[in-house]
Amino acid sequence: MDFISKKDFRSLVEGLIKEYTLYGPIKKDGSPAFGRIDGFGQLKLSSTPSHISAKGFLFPPKETLLRFDIEKGSAEGVVTAEDQAIIGLNSCDVHAINLLDRVFAYGTPDANYLARRKKTLIIGTECLPDEYCFCDSIGTMTVEEGFDVFLHKLRGGFIARTGSKRGRSLIKKYASARKATKEEIAGLKGLAEKKKKLFKTTLDAEASSLPLIYAGADLSPVWDRIGAICYGCGSCNNVCPTCYCFDVKDDVTMDLKKAERVRVWDACTLEDFAKVSGGYNFRKTRADQLRHRFNRKFRYLADRFKGLFCVGCGRCSRTCLVRINIAEVTNEIVRESKKR
Amino acid sequence: MLKSVPVAAKKPKLAFFSFTCCEGCQLMVLNCEEEFPGIIELVDIVNFREAMSLRSDDYDIAFVEGSISKKEEIKKLRAIRKNAKIVVALGACSSTGGLNCLKNRFPMEEVKKAVYGKDARHKPMDTIPARPIDSIVRVDHYIHGCPVTKEEFLSTLKAFLLGKTPDVPNHPVCVDCKMAGNICVFEKGLSCVGPVTRAGCKAVCVTYGCICWGCRGPVDDPNMNAHGETLERYGLTADGILKSFDLYGGYRIYKTGRPAGHDGPPAVLDGRKRHA
Repeated sequence: MDFISKKDFRSLVEGLIKEYTLYGPIKKDGSPAFGRIDGFGQLKLSSTPSHISAKGFLFPPKETLLRFDIEKGSAEGVVTAEDQAIIGLNSCDVHAINLLDRVFAYGTPDANYLARRKKTLIIGTECLPDEYCFCDSIGTMTVEEGFDVFLHKLRGGFIARTGSKRGRSLIKKYASARKATKEEIAGLKGLAEKKKKLFKTTLDAEASSLPLIYAGADLSPVWDRIGAICYGCGSCNNVCPTCYCFDVKDDVTMDLKKAERVRVWDACTLEDFAKVSGGYNFRKTRADQLRHRFNRKFRYLADRFKGLFCVGCGRCSRTCLVRINIAEVTNEIVRESKKR
Repeated sequence: MLKSVPVAAKKPKLAFFSFTCCEGCQLMVLNCEEEFPGIIELVDIVNFREAMSLRSDDYDIAFVEGSISKKEEIKKLRAIRKNAKIVVALGACSSTGGLNCLKNRFPMEEVKKAVYGKDARHKPMDTIPARPIDSIVRVDHYIHGCPVTKEEFLSTLKAFLLGKTPDVPNHPVCVDCKMAGNICVFEKGLSCVGPVTRAGCKAVCVTYGCICWGCRGPVDDPNMNAHGETLERYGLTADGILKSFDLYGGYRIYKTGRPAGHDGPPAVLDGRKRHA
């Protein structure tokens, strides 16, 4: 672990701007968000999560996968990836990227995501919980892998942990770092203990027990209750750092001779998500759609990828205008499971 | 992969018609300057008052903009339906009734007098409550928006030519907002009708600092009850809530006393009776 001063931090950020397309936390309409960083002054390190996750830099809302020529019957794949760096990801976000890495490498590897991921530098920063965060209950409050550099704010500067060769050379190049002292490392642990006490939202069960608890909750009355108030607006999916579903569409040119195949974000809480040919919808009600989403986060994907797909960032709870709170719903299901 | 493009052997004939509206949707079609050389390779345009003088009653696809607000427009619209194989409602006025339906909350005599003064008693000024075209004829397809977007007009036309069903977004504006990276209007201390409004607009209004007014009308299954409660939680009164649905949702409110999808008791705006 190294200590880097505030001045070094600035030269690090300016170095990143020179070498990479840099994205990081900004203030947008007074709220924390991610955006393009062209100058050090734009960077507004936020202690709380951005309203929309940073997944769009690795998995864009819309991207071209294929260009094809209808007359010739030929097609070529399109992979666009440029050197980019994302700064200001919190530990939940890094955990989320680790999960997406597993998803997009599973089965037929996703060339577009993986190419972009390979060219992406990840610089994490320590955060503080807002009223919706519950990463401590999920076990994602700290992160040990998936980043190149992870910065912890301390008086006068940052403690930098490096997680890759790229990260180590970056610190070497831009910061006159020194080894962190024992006191500083101890201070870091003290901060983590203090942080644990700041959570206003917690889960009433061990994270590892959630897949099993959810497995018994298919008939819970909670689904009809939250289904009745849900808009089906897909916001919970779209702000989520681990939701990765997409739809594939063809954009044909006006002469109808050429086309692009594009993928766009899709969301399991939207009415048409499970609609198939002939108009049949196999998850028609909002209750069914929500049950599906919660099970994807806590059960189905946990079984397949060995890890909960909720990282406890609380973004879905914040964005939901009818106040469906992922932690409260989970706690309700935990309570019901204890009655059984 | 397709070896040939399944385009109709005969060039389809297109016609554009305009009823009560600002003609902004036709203007959006005219904005397709770059695409027009390609378009006229594939179709014949036989009726388009805003762009040319040719008139013909022989057409396959009719794009109809504007709402119906005069008796004589009903007759004209029925003739269009008879002539066309496909009728497309072009834009908010035509597909939901649009802004014109704001007048439906007043007695027609009062409206006429307010607009035309002493000329109001002349017959050409006859006026009826404004309504969408599907309240009179069968509509095959809708292109929503105030105005429509160029992209959606073109993708609809291409879908017809390829024999595909045109893609009409059926998700709320919230999706487009999140994809555009916008901070939620409600987080900014304002309110909007985006959560129950049909998207496809790329959330331009919110992206440029405004709110969603609901110009594309509601999604197929809007949760209006929930949205009423949300607006109330964010400080709107019952009157304010109805007004926020009224701007573009006026026709449904006038017909049923409540916005689409809302099953609460019929509400009366401003304490005024709605006039049939």
